[in-house]
Amino acid sequence: MERLYIEYDMARFTRKDITLVDMELYDGRKFEDLEPRRLFPTTGLEKYIALLNKDGVEQGIIRDLRTLPDSERAIITDCLNEYYLIPHVEKILDTHFKFGVLTLKTETNRGPVAIEIRNILHGIKLVAGYRVLIRDGNDNRYEIPDINRLDKQSKALIEQFL
Amino acid sequence: MNLQTERNKAPLPVQDTPENESFAVNEPFRGIRFPANKKLPDEILAKMEEAIPQSEEIICAIVGDLDINSRYASSALVLTDGNIYAFDKAAENGVRSCGYDKAKKASVRRYYGNALLLLTAEEGAKPVNFIRFSYKTASLYDAVATFIQSVAAGKNQEEERRMLNASFEKQFCFCPKCGRALIRPGAPCMNCQSKNKVIKKLGAYVLPYKWMLFGCLLLSVVTTAVSLVPPYMTKTLVDEVFPTGNKGMLIICVLVLLATYLVQYGIGAVRSYYLRVAGNKIVADLRNDVYAKAQKLPMRFYDRTSTGSVINRISGDTTTIQQFVMRITQEVVVQLFLLIGIIVIMFAMNWQLTLLSLVPVPFVVMGSRWFGRKIRPFYRRMWRRWSAVSSVLTDTIPGIRVIKAFANEQRSVETFESYNAEWLKTDISASRITTLFPNIVGFVVTCGSLLIWGIGGNMVIDNPSFISAGLLVSFISYTSMFYGPVNFFANFNDSYQNALNSAEKLLDIIDAEPEPDFGKGNHPDRLHGKIEFKNVNFSFDRSKKTLSNVNIVIEPGDIVGIVGTTGAGKSTLVNLLMRYYDHYDGEILVDGINIRDIDMEFYRSQIGYVQQEPMMFHDTIYQNIAYGLDRVQVEEVIHAADVANAHSFIVRQPDGYDTMLGERGVGLSGGERQRLSIARAVLKNPSILFFDEATAAVDSETESLIQDAIERLISGRTTLMIAHRLSTLRKANKIIVVDKGEIIEMGTPEELMALKGKYYKLIQIQTMSDEIRKTKEEERFE
Repeated sequence: MERLYIEYDMARFTRKDITLVDMELYDGRKFEDLEPRRLFPTTGLEKYIALLNKDGVEQGIIRDLRTLPDSERAIITDCLNEYYLIPHVEKILDTHFKFGVLTLKTETNRGPVAIEIRNILHGIKLVAGYRVLIRDGNDNRYEIPDINRLDKQSKALIEQFL
Repeated sequence: MNLQTERNKAPLPVQDTPENESFAVNEPFRGIRFPANKKLPDEILAKMEEAIPQSEEIICAIVGDLDINSRYASSALVLTDGNIYAFDKAAENGVRSCGYDKAKKASVRRYYGNALLLLTAEEGAKPVNFIRFSYKTASLYDAVATFIQSVAAGKNQEEERRMLNASFEKQFCFCPKCGRALIRPGAPCMNCQSKNKVIKKLGAYVLPYKWMLFGCLLLSVVTTAVSLVPPYMTKTLVDEVFPTGNKGMLIICVLVLLATYLVQYGIGAVRSYYLRVAGNKIVADLRNDVYAKAQKLPMRFYDRTSTGSVINRISGDTTTIQQFVMRITQEVVVQLFLLIGIIVIMFAMNWQLTLLSLVPVPFVVMGSRWFGRKIRPFYRRMWRRWSAVSSVLTDTIPGIRVIKAFANEQRSVETFESYNAEWLKTDISASRITTLFPNIVGFVVTCGSLLIWGIGGNMVIDNPSFISAGLLVSFISYTSMFYGPVNFFANFNDSYQNALNSAEKLLDIIDAEPEPDFGKGNHPDRLHGKIEFKNVNFSFDRSKKTLSNVNIVIEPGDIVGIVGTTGAGKSTLVNLLMRYYDHYDGEILVDGINIRDIDMEFYRSQIGYVQQEPMMFHDTIYQNIAYGLDRVQVEEVIHAADVANAHSFIVRQPDGYDTMLGERGVGLSGGERQRLSIARAVLKNPSILFFDEATAAVDSETESLIQDAIERLISGRTTLMIAHRLSTLRKANKIIVVDKGEIIEMGTPEELMALKGKYYKLIQIQTMSDEIRKTKEEERFE
């Protein structure tokens, strides 16, 4: 099955809605109302971005966002930022753990939030030794991109649950 | 559009329990109460005063946590009888509003970790992004979207409002303290209830063996008391026997010591035996309870918890708790008794030296507290790592065939080694503290005895009449005995923290909400098999809706084919009917009764479920067919096997019905396992039957055998058959087509063929592929 891989300057995007774009290829083909979605939301933030039409059918895949011209990359990145709400935890102010429910009072890049994790085994994952992925009891996602960049107190607070 | 409804026509039940007061549900505004998921922030109340005209009645409010730009901020959606308001700091003047006439379509668009309420003025128009929210309030927004759309479509407002209120009422089902789901509105939270009750809960396991443990304790007191004798005898020997050369007294002293040791070790042996018996009984009871509770946990628990971690809790954690219970019921008392006994004797011998020997104690206590704080995260980490190791085992050992088929043994070993190495690394880190601390304590207390040697020795030299050499030697012996309990209590924190960690994991299972069975004991004599889905919405997690607004009516005796592409939601329909998941919106009725209100055991006993990959247990064929049934005649089992076309292959087995199956039915082909599974269903004699792709994994000949068996079985019973292969639905009198979680077509096969919709297309595609398959099979045969 042939798959359309998009890279470099082979496509031009126009923002249609907060998460939708129109795409015109260098050969003149046009696609409307495409929604960029990460194929690897956890492990590949800028690679393999699928473009789905209204019916959820893939129309193409952006191989690597970084190869796109800046203007096109910005459009896709903006759409992805609207679609994926994964606040980055910048500071952990306090933790409270009782009977399986862990509450983290945090400062994120989207503002302060208290994260309530009902199952720490399932809700907190350490990836590659430094990245922490968090999923709260309501299936909201959060991320600590690099645990080593946290201040000493925040790091100590989260490390006891890793 | 104006909703002219009487105020508070459908009032919510007011929760008056103190713990729910903080969880505002009927929030008063302008003297009128209306449902809200929580207390409205003051700044939003102020904005509401400004923006909402006095003439409008508030229907409900949802307090959210995101603004439209995905930043955390207080926001709220407020529905009145005339307008829809979004109070959002990021909006112009902090508020967005829209009349119902401009919201012909309302939908929730789910993204990743957030969602938007979209309002569309008319068909084909661009939707307006009205308000953004996190998944915390997503289910309420679903209800609100349905409400807006229904009202816009001119549906009965009273009814719609009742359903909206019901969605808010479900918010009562969450504990206001910890946020955990409650088994029913207003029920006490098992999680909060269990706080400060760990000891009580564990104590319940000790209670049945209290007399045995009490006996052991008495024996311990005797051995401990006897162990205080030898140092005193040392004093007598040094001060009285050796200086006087009294040989008679020497023999008496030796005999007393012999008697002491006989009592100490003889009673010790009896005590150890009974202690072990009591301990094993406690751990067996605990394991039984954890396992029994694990059986009653809902599927949601297993969706999110690895089997490895559950096994780890049942095997490892129960043992840790057993050891701790033994320590707390026996050693703590014994050591305390020893400590008090020794201090009394030491004070009686010499109070100055006694005070001197107490010098290291404050350091040991402080160190112990520090140690407790440091070690606990390590135990938690070690548990996580060990659970990960267990998960690898439970994943790979049952899948050994696949591993071998892909020649992946080496990689599998490497994966295991990497997880094991992680555990080892954490364990070694913990060992640094766990081994260092007791040695530091040992050093400090030994230094205490040095003080006594130095200062006490000086006293013996300077003033032998005040302290004799025998008294000093005896005192030193008591001092070393005294430091034993000190050491014990210093290190007790280690086992306490370890046990606390294990207790948390066990209580996670013991205290978890079991499958709710609101209708226990409530059931009709037999189900006739009428099935209704009313406005059913369901999602496994909040990120994706699996079923949307499902409405189905199935009459008794109907044979219903459920078709659709993979992932459309077909099996989910059956999962909900099986009551594997109860957290859906809407109602599912069987014979007009909400299935949540029917006794779970009775309900499931009335259902036969044949899955695509039937689960067989490591038992005989006979026991596998008769699974779950207590009083069953041999001939009934043979008859069931015959109906299922299984008897013919069973009789060819050398061990017939006594053939022992391997784990998960190893030793039988897929088709044979499937026929045993059908035999199980026959034997159960259910009113309702579900077949989930029962013939998907077998060849045409076996399919025909299974199909025959199915047709014999379904006669006169309500039957739901999920099938990719549409030819298997030839007996169906009704077809339901599911697509992206919605019912898009429903009717008789003829009606749907005439409709020329999705079902028609699927039939056409399958006819072509069936012809190709048939040709291929014929070619292979030739």
